[in-house]
Amino acid sequence: MGMDRRDFLKTCSLLAVGGLLFGCRKNALSEISDGLAGRIPDERLFEEEVRLALSMSRKELDLVAVPMPKALETKGEKSPNRFGMVIDMAACNGCGKCILACNRENNVPLVTEEDAARGRFMHWIEIRGGAPFMCAHCGSAPCEKVCPTGAASHTPDGLSTMMYKRCTGSRFCGANCPMQARKFNFNDAKSLGLSRQFNKEVPLRSKGVMEKCSLCLHRLQDDRLRFKTESAVAPGASAEWRGRGVKTACMEACPRKAIVFGNWLDGESPLVKAVSGRTLYAPRSLAPFDPSVLFLMEGR
Amino acid sequence: MKIFIVIFSLMFAFLWADFLLGRGGEPPREGVSDFPGAPSLAIPFNHALHGDSLGLDCAACHTGSRSQAHAYFPTRKDCMDCHRLPLTENAGIEKLDSALEKAPEEPWSKASVLPAHVVFHHGVHAAAGVSCTDCHGGVKTSGAVRNYEVNTYGGEKFDMKTCLSCHRGETFKDRGYKRAATYCAACHR
Repeated sequence: MGMDRRDFLKTCSLLAVGGLLFGCRKNALSEISDGLAGRIPDERLFEEEVRLALSMSRKELDLVAVPMPKALETKGEKSPNRFGMVIDMAACNGCGKCILACNRENNVPLVTEEDAARGRFMHWIEIRGGAPFMCAHCGSAPCEKVCPTGAASHTPDGLSTMMYKRCTGSRFCGANCPMQARKFNFNDAKSLGLSRQFNKEVPLRSKGVMEKCSLCLHRLQDDRLRFKTESAVAPGASAEWRGRGVKTACMEACPRKAIVFGNWLDGESPLVKAVSGRTLYAPRSLAPFDPSVLFLMEGR
Repeated sequence: MKIFIVIFSLMFAFLWADFLLGRGGEPPREGVSDFPGAPSLAIPFNHALHGDSLGLDCAACHTGSRSQAHAYFPTRKDCMDCHRLPLTENAGIEKLDSALEKAPEEPWSKASVLPAHVVFHHGVHAAAGVSCTDCHGGVKTSGAVRNYEVNTYGGEKFDMKTCLSCHRGETFKDRGYKRAATYCAACHR
């Protein structure tokens, strides 16, 4: 077969160019290519999924009266903070705006149609008994006790946190939560085109990792670091961080102000003010575990 | 001959499609010694000339380093603020002025290499009395821009162990730093 020098050089250079293009793919381009290939879902899909979840929500929520959450002791040290929330069942009309706000704040992925049909959403908030229900951040959390890797752990400030990089996906925690507040990433949401990073502050979770409500941990962390920096340079400022002014995404989104976030141990917290003189309720199965996210009922 | 062109264009089309739509083969480990290239400036920036000899504080150019989460890199305007001023009686260095003139608006716009699940706040460390060189060792003493990146920050030698040993009070004992939080969610999200 005849091939002159010119053709040979052409072949070689084209192959070299092609090889270079193949080799120099970068992470920065993968985002564009994800968009081109339809791997980033439209925002509308998230709204539709919340609507679907609302139509499938569970009706029952068995509540019992519980005392006000007290200070926690971790490793013998008492923290001046214990963060939590209260949900006013009377004010809430179950509109589901908190779910969407939470999904956008925490980059909660969509689920496949198959899972959606069976009501298996990744949403950190569910509507149960007509009001939002999420992880209660129990003081003696049953989920944390069974975690083999220490991925589920408690902060001194009373948050039950998930360290995603430590999670190996045993799902013991999910099995030990009496209210099924934990959601497991059975799918690789990113490669299935089901996840979208609305909020750069919150990392995306990979396949095989458990997740749940973090009480907007990132907002608390940012506020704590800001406070500590500022109080170091401003003499006379209060030395102790109480997390004042921090709001969760669901609290901000609630049009009827049914969700109040705050510090159970801080008298000035909107949470303590909202519950003064009222009876606090918790789901019956969670009540023995000292939950931090509680409920208020009409007229009580 | 035509068959060759057809084969080439087909191959090219495949490679082009892969280039646009394909996914990289490497595992998704973010922020591990993956640096964008050093800025292409006509005259490379020299830390030794600015820090040691002028006595400039790091925060003069890295404006967030004492108050914000990110330290930030200076823009060209920040450079010009000083370089345009007749600080001394010497005439400006022509070579340097023309290089600055040609420099991009943000010569060092660098994305953070910190993984998404790690929280690091420069300000709170500075407020606690940690000096910049404790982590970014050798910036001031060495001339090269990239030296400190290779040595400590983001390099193989800088990991969670480094953070933890200081937070536990094991390193810098002579400085009398306070022990810092070591629970997971203090630094991870």
